Amino acid sequence: MSSRIRWSGAVLGVLGIATTLVLHWMVFFWVPTERTMGVVQRIFYIHVPAAWVAFMAFGIVAICSAMYLWLKDERLDMAAASAAEGGMLFTTIVLLTGPLWGRVAWGTWWTWEPRLTLTLLLWFIYLGYFLVRSSTENPQRGKRFAAVVGIVGALDIPLIHISVQWFRSLHPAPVVMRPDGPSLHPDMLATLFVGLGASTLVFFSFFLFRYGLERMEQALAHREMVAEAAPRPEGVTS
Amino acid sequence: MRLFGTFILLALLLSVPDLAIAQGLPSGDALASQNLRGYTHMFIAYSIAWFLVIGWVISIARRLGRVERALND
Repeated sequence: MSSRIRWSGAVLGVLGIATTLVLHWMVFFWVPTERTMGVVQRIFYIHVPAAWVAFMAFGIVAICSAMYLWLKDERLDMAAASAAEGGMLFTTIVLLTGPLWGRVAWGTWWTWEPRLTLTLLLWFIYLGYFLVRSSTENPQRGKRFAAVVGIVGALDIPLIHISVQWFRSLHPAPVVMRPDGPSLHPDMLATLFVGLGASTLVFFSFFLFRYGLERMEQALAHREMVAEAAPRPEGVTS
Repeated sequence: MRLFGTFILLALLLSVPDLAIAQGLPSGDALASQNLRGYTHMFIAYSIAWFLVIGWVISIARRLGRVERALND
């Protein structure tokens, strides 16, 4: 892995951990408790940032995948695969923390309402992304198929966002991205933004390390391919 | 190093509910009961997030180590 990637990842990681510690202090000691839901509402500060990072990651997957299909640059495919892995992780966090909040706030672990269903669908789409990548005999073809899945999958993201306005939903209407400004208490809004910053920094740190790993794996595969193609001395069989 | 990491992780996980409860439960049995369940769910939610993130870090570190060793051979 190049030292630039390693150092950038390390710096972002340290900043991410520091911001995460600040976030935990704010969540447990500083931010006021929500009046109707009580302390369980504090899951909000990990649930929403995880969703934000998941959507951002899948946006990166879609952009890199589209550019990969156009330019055929392997680095774009590696970036897409790295972002997809991070996106899967943060979508899993969203899907596991949401029911824990919903059980107390709504009285149910899960319901097939539009936003939950579309988020689960997103998780399965990106599971499909990795399955498609690894299931073809020709790796280049697998990458191309996966790129198409990555682009199509990202179409689910705006649907998740507007589903609470288009359909009847247990999820509340947006409290931050509103035309007339956020309706959250300023302290809650500040905590949310620290959470968004922390999860974004952590994601990009991991993304860089994962991208470096992808490049090293490709270098290893290339070296093995060259070694196999090299002429062997007479009498030596593989 | 691994033992130190495990210790830090355990300390963090064990301290989360204490930190939350340190803010004080409101009076009233029903509200206290609902809040207690809220604390439990919040603790589990944050623990899950920590476990998944740390698991991913360990996974990347192991894969990096394996590829680095293979490249150095």
